[in-house]
Amino acid sequence: MARNRYDVDEVLEDSFDLGQLKRLASYIKPYGAKMAAIIILMLTSSALTMVVPIFIRNVMDDSIPQKDMKAICIYGFLTLLIALYAAFALRMKIKTMSVIGQSIIHDIRTDIFSHLQELPFSYYDDRPHGKIQVRVVNYVNSISDLLSNGIVNTFTDLCNLIFILMFMFYLDVKLTLVCICGLPVLAVVIFVIKKKHRRAWQIQSNKQSNLNAYIAESINGIRVTQAFVRERENTGIFNQLSNKYRKSWMTAVKYNFAMGPSVDIISMVTTSLIYILGVRWILAPNAELTVGVLIAFTSYIGRFWAPINTLAGFYNSLLTAISYLERIFETIDEEVEVKDAPGASVMPTVTGDVEFDDVTFGYEPGHTILDHISFQVKAGDTYAIVGPTGAGKTTVVNLISRFYDVNSGVIRIDGIDISKVTLKSLRSQMGIMMQDSFIFSGTIMDNIRYGNMSATDEEVVNAAKTVCAHDFIMEMEHGYQTEVNERGSRLSAGQRQLISFARALLADPKILILDEATSSIDTETELVLQQGLARLLKGRTSFIIAHRLSTIKSSDCIMYVDHGNIEEKGNHEELMATKGEYYKLYMSQYEFLNVG
Amino acid sequence: MSAMKWFLSFLKKYRGHMILGLILTIAISVLSTVNPYISGLIVDQVIRKGEVSKLMPLIGCLLGTTIIIGIIRFFYQVVFETASQGVLYDMRDKVYRKLLEEDFSFYNKKRTGDLMSRQTGDMDAIRHFVAYVIYSICQNALMLVFALFMIFTVNVKLALCMLVVLPFTAMCTIKQSKEVHPAFQRNRNCFSSLNTLVQENVSGNRVVKAFAKEEYEISKFEKENDKFYDAQVSASRIWMQYVPIFEVLSYVLTIILICYGGYMVIQGEITLGQLVTVNGYLWMLNVPLRMAGWLVNDTINFVTSVDKIYHTYKEEPEVKQPVSGVVKKQLQGEIEFKNVSYRADDEDIVTDIDFKVEPGQTVGIIGSTGAGKSTIMNLLCRFYDTTEGDVLVDGINVKDMDLYRLRDNIGIAMQDVFLFSDTIEGNIAYGRPESTFEDVKKAAIMADANHFIMGLPEKYDTIVGERGVGLSGGQKQRISLARALLKNPSILILDDTTSAVDMETESYIQEQLKHLPKNSTKFVIAYRISSIKDADMILVMDHGRIIERGTHEELVAAHGYYANAFHHQYGEIPEEIKRGGK
Repeated sequence: MARNRYDVDEVLEDSFDLGQLKRLASYIKPYGAKMAAIIILMLTSSALTMVVPIFIRNVMDDSIPQKDMKAICIYGFLTLLIALYAAFALRMKIKTMSVIGQSIIHDIRTDIFSHLQELPFSYYDDRPHGKIQVRVVNYVNSISDLLSNGIVNTFTDLCNLIFILMFMFYLDVKLTLVCICGLPVLAVVIFVIKKKHRRAWQIQSNKQSNLNAYIAESINGIRVTQAFVRERENTGIFNQLSNKYRKSWMTAVKYNFAMGPSVDIISMVTTSLIYILGVRWILAPNAELTVGVLIAFTSYIGRFWAPINTLAGFYNSLLTAISYLERIFETIDEEVEVKDAPGASVMPTVTGDVEFDDVTFGYEPGHTILDHISFQVKAGDTYAIVGPTGAGKTTVVNLISRFYDVNSGVIRIDGIDISKVTLKSLRSQMGIMMQDSFIFSGTIMDNIRYGNMSATDEEVVNAAKTVCAHDFIMEMEHGYQTEVNERGSRLSAGQRQLISFARALLADPKILILDEATSSIDTETELVLQQGLARLLKGRTSFIIAHRLSTIKSSDCIMYVDHGNIEEKGNHEELMATKGEYYKLYMSQYEFLNVG
Repeated sequence: MSAMKWFLSFLKKYRGHMILGLILTIAISVLSTVNPYISGLIVDQVIRKGEVSKLMPLIGCLLGTTIIIGIIRFFYQVVFETASQGVLYDMRDKVYRKLLEEDFSFYNKKRTGDLMSRQTGDMDAIRHFVAYVIYSICQNALMLVFALFMIFTVNVKLALCMLVVLPFTAMCTIKQSKEVHPAFQRNRNCFSSLNTLVQENVSGNRVVKAFAKEEYEISKFEKENDKFYDAQVSASRIWMQYVPIFEVLSYVLTIILICYGGYMVIQGEITLGQLVTVNGYLWMLNVPLRMAGWLVNDTINFVTSVDKIYHTYKEEPEVKQPVSGVVKKQLQGEIEFKNVSYRADDEDIVTDIDFKVEPGQTVGIIGSTGAGKSTIMNLLCRFYDTTEGDVLVDGINVKDMDLYRLRDNIGIAMQDVFLFSDTIEGNIAYGRPESTFEDVKKAAIMADANHFIMGLPEKYDTIVGERGVGLSGGQKQRISLARALLKNPSILILDDTTSAVDMETESYIQEQLKHLPKNSTKFVIAYRISSIKDADMILVMDHGRIIERGTHEELVAAHGYYANAFHHQYGEIPEEIKRGGK
């Protein structure tokens, strides 16, 4: 699949609605008993409140004419009791349902977030990050109302409907049948617009996602935007997205608004039918229907359609929620490409022998990056990987950490096939420093400690000292407690590299991977750093990718990678002697001296 | 200006919508009384009295009114929704523009997730308020006033007695508002934190995986997720206390009707018929009372969100467009730093920077990590304002220049490469969206990026992920260089732009830079001596100060920092080079 952009809707096949609802039901299930209790409470409460009009009628018809003040007071007192019960039921409902609703949201959110942790790089690379975020945060929130109010109200309404229906059947079967013949009509109306209705909300959720993605990117890329004076264009794009969002919202919401009037009109048509047929049946020669029954019946029609009206409202919020739910479940169902093999064992403490045995790999089918590569690294050795940009250097180290699975061949660490051990036990024994040094918002101390959560402050400081980060950290106003954020605050790129370097070291890895780890660090710092590192690298296998050859000259072995193959291999002296690609690369460093 | 005033300034534009919507709401309330009346006629005249001929016309009226009500109901909801989406659109636009205006200092302190919450979750509370809460409040208030008025016309004493509930209602409303406000504030904060956490987790997914910290991330998330849950539930604990009170108050009216009303009839103060009439209006008092608690909630939620958004909105950037800035379309590229210092958070970032560059010259800047090299460039682009001293371009203080024109004349390839999730072509053309494909390609060739781009499956149409994931560091740097070159700027800044490319590529790029279409003034920040050796002037920086300056030869001869770095990098020059060279 091609990568997704902020202005491209994410595709989604039309799946069967009930599937999403069943999924949701499985989240609701644990709270079923509690919800049932609340529904019963609400039903008793609504049954009791129906008694109040009867009290009023009794007072007017009987007590007042009889001047029975005592009876009136009793009715008043009973009403008060009912009021207190209704208030109590309402309180219990709010109390319980907000807990249940929020618990379900909490559960869904945990599931989607936990699953996201397992998804491979490619999932994150293929779409703007704002679109992932909107699913975990905003979409999940959007179903909260459905959960905390919708479900209980629906059940209460359904029960009310059944009560009234039973009562109507008891009054007159034929008239009841006429009355419910409005339901199929309503069903047809709903069914006819359903596809468009649902599509409208799907589009809306897409537009929301696009807008969110653009906002996220605008904030993260603000420096470039200001440097390139793109404010006006970006505002234009933003407003376009914002407008599409508004339009999609208006379209979708109109379907919702159409629902109420549709129910009203259908109910009025059936009511009219009942009047017409009722009058005819009364006047029929051998009439079974009496005037009294007809009048009583007409007063119930309204009560029959009122819950249907609220159910239609529930249907609206359900359709809205489904367009969010399907996105949420889609993410939870996203297949984990790199995962623990069934019965994967725990990687024993690593010594550090690494072997690539005939490894072939490509990110996309038909596009091979590494072509039948084999090499062995002895524990404790330092291996440098050089070659032109895009030759596959980073790919090699990505495979060691099993960020991707090889297409063919085997990678072994200490003779163990890495696809046979758990990811956690494998990766936790590696320290990886990537080209991009990501800083979390928090203190510098927290950021370094990320490598090893149980490290003491002293250990963190020592790691920082080893990578020459201590001095600049201490120069900051709050030292290690200085707050930094994702965009790095005032840290320079080199400083961020040093911090993530310290982070990698603190993990005390047996295998250390440095991918352009020192590209933005000055020579002097690098020298001191290397002295410290030489000590640290002892007993660890390390892979170094660097363009600055001074960084790698002293490695035990240097591999020159190009065109998916290892073109040359050997230590600096050996490679210089063969006068091949590495030699050329090395000499090119000095070319400028001639030019000058 | 207060947050509310700010909000009203948006609503003003949709005054027409609001008034129309309210009129329609009233029309509906009036029309709703028609159908029960007609139904009554049908029962009385057709069913009881058997005047069958009247049935069809009456049913016609019934259906007609229903259809009219349906149409109006649909219409007024659309009207309010349109207004609310309009307010939101305008507000989003205003806030977005402000975000683009905010300076680097602002972004250094703000978390992305917080800023995003303002544009998403908080906006949603406003949508709900304008689309639904405003008319609900009006509708309920109208109902209440109308019913009270009708009851007053029936009997003043009974009406006054019913008014007793109003002070209680008012008291509860005020108390609930006060208590629920901090709860909603907490809600919004928890929402923000959750948003930030998820956002960073997604952005930092590579680090999370590299350190096998998935479980830790999940536990961190659980903490925020729990907090969010707690905030929501404890807020509901507050309205759980009030909403039932309003329910009881609504029943109190019925009790008053039964007991006091009954008493009055017995005493002969009112007739039974009058009591029946009052009973007919009672639901119009009940409904608003029952709604009161919920409406208070929605309103306070809205107030909290407006506060949040406005709080972010009103932060003024320190770097501001001058009122009447000097507009110079084409800069020459003469640059002078006059005793410039910049301090932030009580920390000296750069001190006493003083140099002058003629148009077309190349300045190399080298120095230790965090020495302030990038800061100097940020001051030149006016991403920050100097604390002391002046930066002059073509003899004009940058603070007096049109901000956008200044920046438009500068092409910068930043150290921290940020690419947008867009095609490669779109990324290179970022500063010049109108440029032709040929121009884009030319810039890519100059940055030695064309070659690898053509090797990608979809060439220039390849979409690169956010931050350019999927490309190597060197490839990203070259795209960012092409982006800067395409601007054909008067001043070109390369901030550590070739650190991740190999030597051959670098020398190719350097050769290209010598033949730019415009004789740009160039700044090259680098750690590799090879990148800056040919510069007309090299500035060596340490701890925010320029410690050495001169040409390569001069600096090597000076045996200082620069000479040291040179020897470290090229210490043992191979014999062949020495022989072949000089």
